Amino acid sequence: MTAATIARVTLRRLARDRTSLFFMIILPVVVIVVVGASVGGFSRFKVAVVNEDSGRLGAGIVSALRHSTAIDLHVFSTADAARTSVRRAETTLAVIIPRTTSADLQSGHPGKVVVLGDRTSSSFEGAFTAVSAAVSNQSARLQAAGFAAQQVGGTVDDHLGEADRAAASTAALQVTTSTIDTVRQVLPEGFSYSAPTMLVLFVFINALAAGAGIIETRQLRIYERMSAAPVRRRTIIAGETLAYLSISLLQSVLIVTIGATLFGVSWGDPIAAAALIMVWALVGTGAGVLSGTLFRTPEQASSIGPALGIGLGMLGGCMWPLEIVSPLMRTVGHITPQSWAVDAWTILLSRKGNLVDLAPQLGVLALFAAALISLATYRLGRRLT
Amino acid sequence: MRTPVAVVIAGKDLRQRFRDRSALVLGFAAPLAIAALMSLAFRGTEQFHFTAGVVNNDHGQMASAFGQVITSKEVKSVMATRSYDTEASARAALKHRSVSAVFVVPSGFSQSAAGAHPESIRVLTSIDLQLAGQVADSIAQSFVTQVNADRLSVATAVTAGASSGRIAELAASASTLRPPLDIVSRPSGSHSLKVISYYAPGMGIFFLLFAIGFTARGYFVERRNGTLERMSAAARPGQIILGKSLAVLVYGSASLGTMALVTSLLFGADWGGPLLATAVGIPMVLSVVALTALVIVLARSERQAEGMASIVTFGLALMGGNFVFLSTAPPLLRKLALFTPNGWALRAYLDLATGPHRWSTIALPVVAMLSFALAVSAITAILLRRSEVSLS
Repeated sequence: MTAATIARVTLRRLARDRTSLFFMIILPVVVIVVVGASVGGFSRFKVAVVNEDSGRLGAGIVSALRHSTAIDLHVFSTADAARTSVRRAETTLAVIIPRTTSADLQSGHPGKVVVLGDRTSSSFEGAFTAVSAAVSNQSARLQAAGFAAQQVGGTVDDHLGEADRAAASTAALQVTTSTIDTVRQVLPEGFSYSAPTMLVLFVFINALAAGAGIIETRQLRIYERMSAAPVRRRTIIAGETLAYLSISLLQSVLIVTIGATLFGVSWGDPIAAAALIMVWALVGTGAGVLSGTLFRTPEQASSIGPALGIGLGMLGGCMWPLEIVSPLMRTVGHITPQSWAVDAWTILLSRKGNLVDLAPQLGVLALFAAALISLATYRLGRRLT
Repeated sequence: MRTPVAVVIAGKDLRQRFRDRSALVLGFAAPLAIAALMSLAFRGTEQFHFTAGVVNNDHGQMASAFGQVITSKEVKSVMATRSYDTEASARAALKHRSVSAVFVVPSGFSQSAAGAHPESIRVLTSIDLQLAGQVADSIAQSFVTQVNADRLSVATAVTAGASSGRIAELAASASTLRPPLDIVSRPSGSHSLKVISYYAPGMGIFFLLFAIGFTARGYFVERRNGTLERMSAAARPGQIILGKSLAVLVYGSASLGTMALVTSLLFGADWGGPLLATAVGIPMVLSVVALTALVIVLARSERQAEGMASIVTFGLALMGGNFVFLSTAPPLLRKLALFTPNGWALRAYLDLATGPHRWSTIALPVVAMLSFALAVSAITAILLRRSEVSLS
């Protein structure tokens, strides 16, 4: 009962602090939007195109690029603008269709498609292959129309329609592509990635920063005054732990609700999700109370705490999927509880896992929580004596 | 000669700052640690290359031609291949991610290629490895398109009116054709962006923004302790603000400068060289100075100062692109970044890291940051004049 009163007082103090409310409510939502909008589009190559050719053939090449499933096409009006987008890594490469392309092809000369990019950049070769495939498709169509023009007269333009009709009726070699699995091993892109990862990130960061509350209480000698009353040390510790658990749970519920209602995130099996939220809140609780006993001043807790939380979040896959980092960093990342929580959300959201599927991750997180809470309890107990 | 009052105040603030562990952590240790983390995380991942499994159940002429294409020099730079005897073993390898895609050449492929019902090359992909799947599909498509082109040429000629009795002659003629479209690859004139060259300034600036919070908070702590009152006896409010701003300028420049030096030397980050990097860094620090002064003038208490500073810090970091690589973000977010000084600073460092190291590259960002600092300073000056009585 007394522990609950202590927890209530701590929570009331927090509710009056507008900065904490900003960090608990507004900031996570904004970060979910920004990260959700930015983490995506990894399954297609971003390609810039500039069509300087006013003829039908240039438009045909643009259309072929647009219809490629491997390409996310961005149209630019000048080669300079396209070159800038490549330089700033907004697109992987730029395709320039020169002004004379249609005229060259009509006059029986080969047309030219210029690809601008840095061959040493991360995805140039992949994007180049996708562009080549789209262009060679168009090239085959032009070759057929040109051949028909040679044989029966007329222009390339005149026979493009016939080439399309022939392509539809002629038996041709095909490529059939199929996906062998339907269940993802990584979190989906967009808000379904940013909402669970930001839940993991912010519950931990806010708990660390909220450690400032314990330091302030210590500095104001409130614990000493409490001890003057018939309140046992373990009741005070239980009260503080309860308060931090409530903060972590409250924030988790808030992010889950906002994620589901505003961003359409499906949080998976409710029982497994609730267990994961609970265990993660316990990890946050341990980290928060420990922060209140490790840092000397409230400023240290509220400034170093978030920096530490961001670092651990990066290591643990909250800022980018661990699948895109080196295998060594993926292993190192699993030193952090964040990576186990993100893994658990992946099983829950991508593989539609249940409580049993989550058992190993929940077990590891429970160990983290037990270790952090034990250490925090021990240190807070010593601070109270 | 007497040291100006503002310089004395700045000296005192700096001494205090460098004694404070959290200022040292936020200004120096944290940005360096996080930049190092990012550099390590993305090391070796800056090249897109994958291995594809190949199951050749045909062994005919056409299958051999396909084998030559997927092991050609051009394809090797993006894809390596590994042979499997059975489709089941290749599927298992794909499932366990030993390979990122699988080509299956069906039995009878070569024989059926010229007939009315040609067999298809199959590409197997995984839902989590879509990019590799797309590239594998593109490579196979390029091959079949080349093979189909001659057949399509004959069919089109016949559709256009050529005699169907000339098919053999037409086929012979079509086989000599060259693809009418050439793809010419040219360098874009820029060098590719290293992850560290974006995130080193990104993290440096993000942690620099924290200076707004602890400087503003320090001001109110001094007011509470009576230090400010004692200072007011010897200095005007403007001099106090100037002194504190000077301290932020020195602290911020030292923080950003250390970050540039260490990440350039240890991780190969490209900040554009010392002169240009400084030319971008100083207006950024001046913007932080202006924002600090504004928060001090606007806030009425330590708590308010802390709250405002936090909102400004995280608001600017989120809008400006310090957290996420803005080049992959939607255009709207990229436009929003240009409303922030840090967004302009990051744009300048990005352009320096990928383009020529010229003054013209940074001219616009520097003007934008200075304009921001001037506008914020002007607002602060107006507010300060109004509240001068209460400060003194």
